[in-house]
Amino acid sequence: MTSIIKLHCLSGAGEETPPCYVLQIDEFKFLLDCGWDEKFDMVFIKELKRHVNTIDAVLISHSDPLHLGALPYAVGKLGLSCPIYATLPVYKMGQMFMYDLYQAHKNVSEFDLFTLDDVDMAFDRIVQLKYNQSIEMKGKGLGLRITPLPAGHSLGGTIWRISAPGEEDIVYAPDFNHKKERHLNGCDIERLMRPSLMLLGAMNADYVQQRRRLRDEKLMTTILTTLRGGGCVLVCTDTAGRVLELAHMLDQLWRNKDSGLVAYSLLLLSNVSYNVVEFAKSQIEWMSDKLTRAFEGARSNPFALRHVQLCHSAGDVTRTPGPKVVLASFPDLEAGFARDLFLQWAPHSHNSIVLTARTSPGTLARDLIDNGGDRVIEMVVRRRVKLEGAELEEFLQQQRMNVTNTVREEVAGISSDSDSEDELEMCVVTGRHDIPVRLETRLGGCFKSNKRHHAIYPFHEERTRADDYGEIIKPEDYRLAEIVDAEGEIRDVPPTAPIKQEQDEEMSEVPSKCVSSVRQVHVKAHVEYIELEGRCDGESLLRVVSQTKPWAVVGLRASEAALHTLKKHCESEGIEKVFLPSVGETVDATTESHIYQVKLTDGLMRGLVWRQAGDAELAWLSAVVAPRTHARESDAAPEEGGGAVSLEAGAGRPRAAAFVNTVRLHELRAALARAGLQPDLGAGTLTCCSGTLAVRRMENGQVSLEGVLSEEYYKVRELLYEQFAIV
Amino acid sequence: MTTNPRKGTDPVPAEESDQLTIRPLGAGQEVGRSCIMLEFKGKKIMLDCGIHPGLSGMDALPFIDLIEADEVDLLLVSHFHLDHSGALPWFLTKTSFKGRVFMTHATKAIYRWLVSDYIKVSNISTEQMLYTESDLENSMDRIETINFHEERDVRGVKFWAYNAGHVLGAAMFMIEIAGVKILYTGDFSRQEDRHLMAAEIPTVHPDVLITESTYGTHIHEKREERESRFTGLVSDIVGRGGRCLIPVFALGRAQELLLILDEYWSLHPELQDIPIYYASSLAKKCMAVYQTYVNAMNDRIRRQIAINNPFVFRHISNLKGIDHFEDIGPCVIMASPGMMQSGLSRELFESWCTDPKNGVIIAGYCVEGTLAKTILSEPDEITTMSGQKLPLRMSVDYISFSAHTDYQQTSEFINILKPPHVVLVHGEQNEMSRLRAALEREHRGAILVHTPRNTQPLALCFRGDTTAKVMGSLAVDPPKEGQELQGILVKRNFNYHILAPADLNKYTELVQSEVTQRQSLQYAGSVPLLRHVLMQLAGHIDFLSETRWRLYSCIELTIESSTIVLEWRAGPVADMYADALVGAALSAAALAAPAATHPPLAPKLDRMHFKECVIEMFQDMFGEDSVPKMFKGDKLYVTVDDKRADIDLQSMEVRCPEEPSLASCVRSALQHLHAALSPVRPPPGAPPPAPPPADS
Repeated sequence: MTSIIKLHCLSGAGEETPPCYVLQIDEFKFLLDCGWDEKFDMVFIKELKRHVNTIDAVLISHSDPLHLGALPYAVGKLGLSCPIYATLPVYKMGQMFMYDLYQAHKNVSEFDLFTLDDVDMAFDRIVQLKYNQSIEMKGKGLGLRITPLPAGHSLGGTIWRISAPGEEDIVYAPDFNHKKERHLNGCDIERLMRPSLMLLGAMNADYVQQRRRLRDEKLMTTILTTLRGGGCVLVCTDTAGRVLELAHMLDQLWRNKDSGLVAYSLLLLSNVSYNVVEFAKSQIEWMSDKLTRAFEGARSNPFALRHVQLCHSAGDVTRTPGPKVVLASFPDLEAGFARDLFLQWAPHSHNSIVLTARTSPGTLARDLIDNGGDRVIEMVVRRRVKLEGAELEEFLQQQRMNVTNTVREEVAGISSDSDSEDELEMCVVTGRHDIPVRLETRLGGCFKSNKRHHAIYPFHEERTRADDYGEIIKPEDYRLAEIVDAEGEIRDVPPTAPIKQEQDEEMSEVPSKCVSSVRQVHVKAHVEYIELEGRCDGESLLRVVSQTKPWAVVGLRASEAALHTLKKHCESEGIEKVFLPSVGETVDATTESHIYQVKLTDGLMRGLVWRQAGDAELAWLSAVVAPRTHARESDAAPEEGGGAVSLEAGAGRPRAAAFVNTVRLHELRAALARAGLQPDLGAGTLTCCSGTLAVRRMENGQVSLEGVLSEEYYKVRELLYEQFAIV
Repeated sequence: MTTNPRKGTDPVPAEESDQLTIRPLGAGQEVGRSCIMLEFKGKKIMLDCGIHPGLSGMDALPFIDLIEADEVDLLLVSHFHLDHSGALPWFLTKTSFKGRVFMTHATKAIYRWLVSDYIKVSNISTEQMLYTESDLENSMDRIETINFHEERDVRGVKFWAYNAGHVLGAAMFMIEIAGVKILYTGDFSRQEDRHLMAAEIPTVHPDVLITESTYGTHIHEKREERESRFTGLVSDIVGRGGRCLIPVFALGRAQELLLILDEYWSLHPELQDIPIYYASSLAKKCMAVYQTYVNAMNDRIRRQIAINNPFVFRHISNLKGIDHFEDIGPCVIMASPGMMQSGLSRELFESWCTDPKNGVIIAGYCVEGTLAKTILSEPDEITTMSGQKLPLRMSVDYISFSAHTDYQQTSEFINILKPPHVVLVHGEQNEMSRLRAALEREHRGAILVHTPRNTQPLALCFRGDTTAKVMGSLAVDPPKEGQELQGILVKRNFNYHILAPADLNKYTELVQSEVTQRQSLQYAGSVPLLRHVLMQLAGHIDFLSETRWRLYSCIELTIESSTIVLEWRAGPVADMYADALVGAALSAAALAAPAATHPPLAPKLDRMHFKECVIEMFQDMFGEDSVPKMFKGDKLYVTVDDKRADIDLQSMEVRCPEEPSLASCVRSALQHLHAALSPVRPPPGAPPPAPPPADS
């Protein structure tokens, strides 16, 4: 059986552009991820457009724009109409990412590449899956099965396994993290045994990562020194992915009384910060075991963040007095509040800018990482300004013209937008895309408070509590000054949120235009790059390759040096097929596999002698293909008979015994020690009986047993044989 | 795969047996202490591990003493109700069970608090307690969580969960062992309600359906009717100035009723002065769980959660205990326990039951023998906890909100899934037999309905073909009739693959290894003597050099100053040859060494000796007279029971047209004898299989 397997790279191959690939298995075409870069590259879109009609299914692996940014455009403008598969958190958080991205651009420019309707339409196509849930493809893809596996890196992040008929296993792993993090589990490497093709994001193949503790400490010191120096810290992060790890980590830091951070403010700033945190609260089951356990045990939701203030505009930040830490999107500093704050804060030397991720080459953040701060950079400053004077007149004229031309309903729609800040229902009815910020503050628990109005004149019994000596105890006198903490408990929804909405509405309502200017910015602020991407480091990436032992590897989305490292490693591991395509190239990974099914008769099965090897059992099978009793032309299911009986009759050919399993010397040593043979392990050689017997591991994986003829020789041999399954 | 319940022991090992056993250890023709054992192909799975609500102490446990707890591979808990999960802390801490336990995230989170509450409220002596709070705490880490639809594999048992409705986190488990699928529904409901979705219908057809039968052949009233009846009743009672008591189980249905009441109150401002109390600290504790695991609820809630949390109630206050309650006028109180065995609901009932203005609404399923069940038959008097008799004057109404499947739903469910076998559990005997009769009537002959009693095993037979996939170099050519096929059969989780040894590394993570052996021994004798002895044994020696010989074409022997070194690649056959050579060398060393030349013996079969042996053997086998005493040439015959088998010793052929079995018997005896007497020849390629190396 031969399966045609081809991978066409639309983007993200040979260089660090966002991943987007077309994987063809026989007739069926998968689109693997659909990322868009920070600059909205139209050349890529042109390329995507050529393929969009032939795609049968889309698989999305992470929720950031890097992995699904072009989806709204593809669905809204290119007419992509096939089902899209993603995990539930990728669906929820991905939508948040796109809302934030849209809003970030809309706030400063006439953004028209996609609308919020396109975003909604794209996400409506998503089939939400759970980890390890297998889905069978239909139609052309009959026999194909896709399974999302946990990948780490982001909430709901996925390694896709695509199983094709004929025991072909294709693994698509663009970004993953094998390490456990605070809020996420590491990826499941054991489940990826021996895939026939591994599509691997190789960006980190030559990357050496600092210890996590060191990085955390660095962040902590940067924050502390800046805050104590009276400056502000801008932590550039994303909308709904890595930000969760950061927010959780910083919140824990703030909770720690010894950290001395309680006096400062911690802000989470993006257009959708409230919703991101709310969604995170309801996705505990997707997070690390530690967090779920903690939730089961203490019923404290890890994302009920005590110290984080949720903000929705740059204004909220300026209103918060004193030194503060702001987590703002986007990490590339090309758009969003992070860029606004950067413009504000970069020229002052007491501030700090923390970059947490290596974004695409060419972005401001990457430039700062590569070339450092303390220099003058030229930035395009875009913003939206209110129309004034003649321009306003002209606009209003235009508006009046429009009003006369359009039906009244539309006007109603627009105006309802404007005063939606006080009525929740209104927001929902008019279909505003920003999921509205809930304004009511939640009362302590889930029930209404017991203080109610009485029908009759209320009589309050004054309960005075006095101590044994009659002195009245006032609890207030004994309360410690923990105002900030107490406030933090109550503050579920930021008190500033409602004001922000007004502003926002004004902004979109008041006639405005977008202007851009080029400004010289002298970056005086302390620029620090602390990698918190949550990706696998180089060494581990290569180890994953060695452990899973794929038949073929395709190295994707990486610099030349990284790809070279990967290739060298694969060669040393004996993986023959290594493909390193560049953008626009097609990799042909078609394999020829031989496979057919047979039935095993009871007689044959009874004669087998099973030996245990790992989690499998092995037996030597020696059989003859029996005459077909019920020949069916479609499936070759010949019955087999014979076995040991036919061997005696000369049917079985003589053969050498096969030793299966690898022997581990320390295990053997333990076995020898149990038998009282006093083994001694050193330099790949296990000796015992005062050096008369030796078990050695040769370079080619062979094991040799040497020794003088003695009773122990046979004992050792027996124990050595027990390490194998001999069939 | 057909199906005749088969009894009796099977000689085949459990792993290969086709028999699936289903044995209820609890919930067999009863409600409570659900615990069902599945056994198939040597795998043992326990479904649920509950306690009986009407019994206490050890009596409440299922009949777990009938099984070996340490043999259970897997335990699946369908939902958090105590009759499904209550015995779990006991089973985890007080038995030798060492398998794995799974439940859904929401179930685990609520289970923790529910059981802890159960420990607190059960008013029995400490000796009778099945477990303590610390047992529960310690066993929490043993419990693993599974998301809905997530596929798991535990030692070849594949299983996944579907939403079951019923309560938050309730799951139906589909279990697949060696291709046979079993669906265990737990408690389920096919009716969507305010916060839970209807039980999903699996897309795969199970071979066995194990389902609840709580409501037998009842048919529930429509949700809208039932809700309006309920709200109507409540407003009637408070309208006439009475107090309305709704005894409920703290978690599950209570949340549904709270949602209904809260909505009704916000739609009726005139009622808003009448307080609704919910008296349960447990429910308050678990609200965080309800607010978090919204992804296990229905779409309505999931959409609403983005705007506000429906589990934040506006008209319902929490009541910490009866001490905080001022009984001054009309009110609505929801209190646990649901069947008024004891506790707050019982207390309130006893103080209110004498006033006809008051009313009680029973909203859930009641077990036989509880007060809730008693008052449904509208007695004139009731007995209080203290033994006093009180007249029952308050109104008693029954509205079933319990989210169990009814006949309509069960029947529809079965119609879609078409399982050949349906096993009924979790239902009282009468209800169960009625349901059985109704199902059998409706699905005439298409399904077999079983209602096993507690501890009574039900055996079903699933005759599956064992199929294997031939892969790699063995499969290059399509199979032909009569073609030989040899390779390693790899069995993992009931999947079979046949591979050539060389392909093993290619298709599995198993590696083929090689072991070489080097054995040295002292030999002081002369080299020619050694050569002679070895020649006699092996028949042939390849002389690679003066001191390096190869024997049996697989063993190399080196002679260095009074030391012999044998080197070979390990294997049963080569090991045996090596042992033989060692033996020969040792005997050569022991011989007095006359330097005289020994003519090399031509290893040849002594034909006369062979003939004598043949006769002797057949005399031993078939009796003195079966063979002629003397014969000439190579022709011989054997007579057994007047049947004659002709033997040609030259060609080793045996002919017996009348009795083929005799011929084959004689032939194999003859071949074995020949093989034993003829000198050992080096194997052509590799030697024929031989017994494993003899112990030294």
